[in-house]
Amino acid sequence: MDLSPIWLTLKLAAITTLLLLIVGLPIAWWLSKGRSFFKTIIEAIITMPLVLPPSVLGFYLLLAFSPRHGIGQWLQDSFDIQLVFSFQGLVLASFIYSMPFMIGPIKSALQQLPASLTQASYTLGKTQWQTFKSVLLPNIKPSLLTAVVLTFAHTLGEFGVVLMIGGNIPNVTRVASIAVYDSVERMDYAAANSYSLILFSITFVMVISVFVFNKYQARSPLE
Amino acid sequence: MLMFILKSFTGQTKRITLLITFSFLMCASSFAQGLKVAAAANLQSVITVLQKDFKQRTNIDIDPIVGSSGKLVAQIKNGAPYDVFLSADMSFPESLYKDGLSAKAPVVYALGNLIICSTKDIGFERWERRLLTPSIKKIAIANPEVAPYGLAASKLLKKKGILDNVKSKMVYGESISQVNTYITTGVVDVGFTTQALVKDPANKTKLFWKLIAPKTYAPIQQGLVILKHGETNLDAERFYNYILSADAKRIFEQYGYRIQ
Repeated sequence: MDLSPIWLTLKLAAITTLLLLIVGLPIAWWLSKGRSFFKTIIEAIITMPLVLPPSVLGFYLLLAFSPRHGIGQWLQDSFDIQLVFSFQGLVLASFIYSMPFMIGPIKSALQQLPASLTQASYTLGKTQWQTFKSVLLPNIKPSLLTAVVLTFAHTLGEFGVVLMIGGNIPNVTRVASIAVYDSVERMDYAAANSYSLILFSITFVMVISVFVFNKYQARSPLE
Repeated sequence: MLMFILKSFTGQTKRITLLITFSFLMCASSFAQGLKVAAAANLQSVITVLQKDFKQRTNIDIDPIVGSSGKLVAQIKNGAPYDVFLSADMSFPESLYKDGLSAKAPVVYALGNLIICSTKDIGFERWERRLLTPSIKKIAIANPEVAPYGLAASKLLKKKGILDNVKSKMVYGESISQVNTYITTGVVDVGFTTQALVKDPANKTKLFWKLIAPKTYAPIQQGLVILKHGETNLDAERFYNYILSADAKRIFEQYGYRIQ
């Protein structure tokens, strides 16, 4: 059996998760501090991929990425980048698609921390960055783990968007979920079963480890 | 859900009763079962024309289910309740016949025409050479493993000796419909598809295209079978005969198919 779709999926999920962690942490922090109408709008936009049909996202990305007009044309002309049918395009799509899974849990966890933690840290002369890194982050470890694992797992489960903008290219955009769909269409149920079983196992182990880890962490006094 | 929203808007019982009755009627009509016709993706536009024409002649409703032939066959083999199957080739209906999922061997109802198509005039006269130039970045074909038009295109490229050279430019649609989407939205520079795309009055995109000479690829013989589920259904028989009739042939020809 050709294992390349599995590797490709893991690569996509790892890159997406890493990027989302880097970008998501500051956004989640910013969202957790205070309220404003602007913040509500931003938060709504970030949360929307959770409920939006993947085909809607896929359709708009297909149009946006088209080298014939708009952003796609600009990218093509200025940087010679074509996002549609490319791995980079899938990374961007997964980034948008999995955003709520990274930012949501981190934001809620930060909001639930007592304000006195931050205040105490400031009183002791620590900067915002030091406070965030050494006081807030260590206290939301379980949520951080949940966010990372869910983002990773959710990217593994991506299908509709990739089906629309991927183009089913081996080693570039043929991810595992597409390979399953493909094998079923080909009536190669043995291959479909192998891919599915691998995805099933990975996802199961990931989700169960979050549960186990968080249960253990729940005993911490701050939870 | 709908009722709840309407109720909160009107707040008038009379009107609500009316609406309830109306929505029940709507439900009832949507529950009326038509003949289930599984149709290959290349028939996307022509099947609705056939549907209307057949309804006019016989007053029988059909519900077309459109998808790649491979997907439809997988569904049929796993018990999808379809009555008639219009495939994009002969091998898929033949495999159904072999598995005992249809009583009669498939017959050819139309021959498909393969075209090369783009939103730009890329100079189709020597398209074999054009595909190799850097100005052509992406070429769409349907997945050759499940879509007969994709198989025909892939064999054509192989015969022209350029399949390996253009492999890195290839993008695979899950069905010919997706290839059409890729072509009309301009996300690919060029694609191989059915002539039905450019014959479809519903298509609003300006397309440039060239018919691939039928001699240069194995004919795309599209096969028709009545499925086990429709065996005892007289409407299925009538639809089967209609598809092979002169009336249906005229429509097929309008949409860029050849008839033997």
